[in-house]
Amino acid sequence: MDNKAPATDNPVEYIQHHLTPLASGEGFWRINIDTMFFSILLASIVMFIAYRVGKTVSAGAPTGMQNVLESLMDFVNSLVKEAFPKPNKIVGPIGLTIFVWVLLMNAMDLIPVDLLPKLADMVGIHYLKVVPTTDPHTTFAMALSIFILCIYYNVKIKGFGGYMKSFMVHPFGIYLAPINFVLTLVEELAKPLSLALRLFGNMFTGELVFLLIALLPWYIIPIPGSLWAIFHILVITLQAFIFMVLTIMYISMASEESH
Amino acid sequence: MNVTATLFGQMITFIVFVWFVKAYLWEPLTDAMESRTKKISDGLAAAEQGQKKIEQATIEFSTRIDEAKTKASGIINNAESKSKNIVEEARATAKEEAQKIAKTSSQQLEQEINAAREALKADVAALSLLCAEKIITKEVDKNMHDQIISEVLDK
Repeated sequence: MDNKAPATDNPVEYIQHHLTPLASGEGFWRINIDTMFFSILLASIVMFIAYRVGKTVSAGAPTGMQNVLESLMDFVNSLVKEAFPKPNKIVGPIGLTIFVWVLLMNAMDLIPVDLLPKLADMVGIHYLKVVPTTDPHTTFAMALSIFILCIYYNVKIKGFGGYMKSFMVHPFGIYLAPINFVLTLVEELAKPLSLALRLFGNMFTGELVFLLIALLPWYIIPIPGSLWAIFHILVITLQAFIFMVLTIMYISMASEESH
Repeated sequence: MNVTATLFGQMITFIVFVWFVKAYLWEPLTDAMESRTKKISDGLAAAEQGQKKIEQATIEFSTRIDEAKTKASGIINNAESKSKNIVEEARATAKEEAQKIAKTSSQQLEQEINAAREALKADVAALSLLCAEKIITKEVDKNMHDQIISEVLDK
């Protein structure tokens, strides 16, 4: 590509350019169009496939896409069954959705870093961040949704009083209630925060390394590029899996009876 | 990161996505898989039952065959003894009949011989009487001579 020379001339600008989202609006109404576009696009693809498979689903011998989705479902279901003593109707779909969505959004990472931004540049879009999970908005959106669901389950299972009590008596007993409150609060808040930041950090650094590799001379790029891409397949899957498992764990912890 | 509309947009996307997957994929697939599980277990149970039935049928079959075999051999034995009896009877009746026939025929023969003998006796008597009449027509009393002649003939 002909922007290699200027890119290597000014690497900081190149990287900053790549990490600037396509945004519109100011303040609260600032919307990262690229993040929204790609995440909704991927979600729509999955929803389309899900809809088609769900429409033609058969109890007989499964074929094609139904096979794939059924094995994914079994995979998620086995994790859910391990974590949940009681059957829960919403956790399975959440786990499956998270796994598929995060996996696909992460996989956008494997598209060559310059390809889509360059194509967008040609049609007049000058900033494009392709991987939605390198945008903390995405990861925090999922983590917060799960956090809210956890609070809902906490209140539903333990009652509001019981939930508040769990803040007071853990981990040191009722006599150190203030300390307990602070500790439990930090613990609870750390859950969504770590969930969101883990995924964001992994994907952001992964993208950064791709950008750094792209700065190398073209004849060196293939070796570290392909190696990092291969390694990144693992990271992508692993992060999607971790996000799903932790989600299931958090919801299961929230829906436990108070002890 | 700031709290912006993007965050809420992504949250809404996520929630809609989860709802959609639950409604259009998870539930129908779960139902399908459950009904398949049921179908398979039903099928396996049916197969097992079929196997059992086959075993029972085999046992019944062999007992029936054994029964039939014993019956058949019984019938054959019966038939053999019956036929023997019949032959024996036939032989006996034939013998009897033959004896009877022989008896009657010998009796008839005897009767005929006797009849012939009687006839001959009468004939000879008549003849000798005639001869005697011719020889001694006038001097011999017919009755006396008859007596003498029959005495001779009897001897």
